[in-house]
Amino acid sequence: MSETVIDVSNVSISLGGRPVHRGLSLSVARGEVIALIGGSGSGKSVLLREIIGLMKPQSGSIKIFGQSVWNSSAEQMSLLRRRFGVLFQDGALFSSLSVEDNVATPLFEHTELPRVTCRQLARLKLAMVGLPPDAARKRPSELSGGMRKRVALARALALDPELLFLDEPTSGLDPISGRAFDDLIRLLADSLGLTVFLVTHDLDTLFSIIDRVIVLSDGRVLGSGTVAELKQIDDPWLREYFAARPTEGETVHGN
Amino acid sequence: MTAARAQFDEAQGALVASGVWRADSVGALPNLAGKQVRIIDGAGVTELDTNGAWLLLAAARPRASDPMPELRSFQPRHLAMLDLVAPHCAVTADKPKPPRGGALELAGRGTLVVWGHFFGLVNFIGHLFLELMALMAYPGRWRWRELGAQINAVFVGAIPIVAGMLFLLGVVFAYLLGSQAQQYGASIFVVDGLLLAILREVSPVIVAVLVAGRTGAAITAQIGTMKVTEEIDAITTLGLSPLAVLVIPRVMALLLAMPLLVFIGDIAGILGGMVVTKEQLDISFHMFTDRVVDVMDLKTLLVGVCKAPVFAIFIALIACRMGLSVTRDSRSVGANTTSTVVQSLVAIIILNAIFAVMFVRLGI
Repeated sequence: MSETVIDVSNVSISLGGRPVHRGLSLSVARGEVIALIGGSGSGKSVLLREIIGLMKPQSGSIKIFGQSVWNSSAEQMSLLRRRFGVLFQDGALFSSLSVEDNVATPLFEHTELPRVTCRQLARLKLAMVGLPPDAARKRPSELSGGMRKRVALARALALDPELLFLDEPTSGLDPISGRAFDDLIRLLADSLGLTVFLVTHDLDTLFSIIDRVIVLSDGRVLGSGTVAELKQIDDPWLREYFAARPTEGETVHGN
Repeated sequence: MTAARAQFDEAQGALVASGVWRADSVGALPNLAGKQVRIIDGAGVTELDTNGAWLLLAAARPRASDPMPELRSFQPRHLAMLDLVAPHCAVTADKPKPPRGGALELAGRGTLVVWGHFFGLVNFIGHLFLELMALMAYPGRWRWRELGAQINAVFVGAIPIVAGMLFLLGVVFAYLLGSQAQQYGASIFVVDGLLLAILREVSPVIVAVLVAGRTGAAITAQIGTMKVTEEIDAITTLGLSPLAVLVIPRVMALLLAMPLLVFIGDIAGILGGMVVTKEQLDISFHMFTDRVVDVMDLKTLLVGVCKAPVFAIFIALIACRMGLSVTRDSRSVGANTTSTVVQSLVAIIILNAIFAVMFVRLGI
């Protein structure tokens, strides 16, 4: 199980004259649940957009499943896109479609299945992410933030991808919904054998469901490893970051 | 990778599947109508995802009341996938869609929508009037900068299209009138007809239509998007009134810009006619302008220009109201923008008809 799923090597990009990535390299093995952290403006979202093929790096190479993202034909890229799912930060649900049609859209577009079967598979995915059956016919605007995230996750899972990208999956959720969403991601990752690459600010996510954390700083990978390993790194931002939450075992005093 | 295959074993009542089972594998399923599947045999299955697992289960068990088939000789990870999917099979059954209403229901709903727009507009005018009164009391709250920006967008930006459009319409009118008048040797009267048509009707109405499509749509889309991104709520919580900040500057800008645009349209239309009459009827520019001075009275110009502010107010009110009544999804931005243009065009045509009747009654 040491096959490399994501391979980013020596990627550089400048936006508006400011270098965002300077020769950044990282790799993710199959089955890992990886979190990408870093301060605001450290280029986490830019990196994610580069990997999923939305923003072209100025130099360096990015491979998913061994296939180059930026040197592939449109057809190869379309096949590659079927193999990964993306959950955008605000869900990015199509507000003109019902919830089940949102989830069924990748199936409509990428498979030859009859539309009825696509909708049934969409309802299966909605049930798997823990949404009640009556949500299927609603519009995204009628759902709460947590439910919208779940719909977006169901859409990302529609084609049964092997790799899942999540951009701040728990932002905008209350702590209880956030933890429930974390548990759901871990459950699905384990049961479906997914590789998960998520960008997060949420320390609770890091402590609960993540195999390995990658820290971005100054356009490069500052460190990578478990939370305990990262705490050994002497970096002012990282120290402050982990100080924002009491280490496990300590009790919190206050009102 | 082997393609998905499945056959039904009549003797055992077993669905025997093999190969890679994914969403695309639906074609591999045999026709199972009227047959009861007691066993799903997965010995030959090499890959199975949730979509594939659902296809097998749904084929073997079309109704939730059917007994769960026995799962035989699947690999453990495939069995885990089937176990993950199986509890959710009941909810995927296709539910009937709510019935659609007939023509009568559609007509009823349509009438309510039209009535709602009318009522909403009257209500909106009331609110706006109160806001205007409040602004009169505190002139310091006028958003002069916003007004300037709006005039720039509404007036300056629209000059090229208005001038170009009316110039071409002037060409067409003069050409049509000329081809008729020439037969009676009445070429010079083309100028009279052109002036009357352009100044009185064509310029005000065409400019209003252009502004409704260009500015009205833009206002609704902009205010609507601000509503979606909660900017309107932010304005309200800062203690400002969205009407004073957004609506009144836009109404005022259109009110000032429209008569000016109509005047520009008048000039462009006459110039267009001038070019054609010179080419087609040999009326020199000098003759043309002499005739214009002879026959044009101020009344004709004013009749056209005085319609403009009325059109402007209606376009601005409709556009702002539809922008503010956007609900929080992108679809409603599109629907309201369409509605703005349609309502504005209808309002322009109705108002123009009212003006025509009024002017005739008044003998203008």
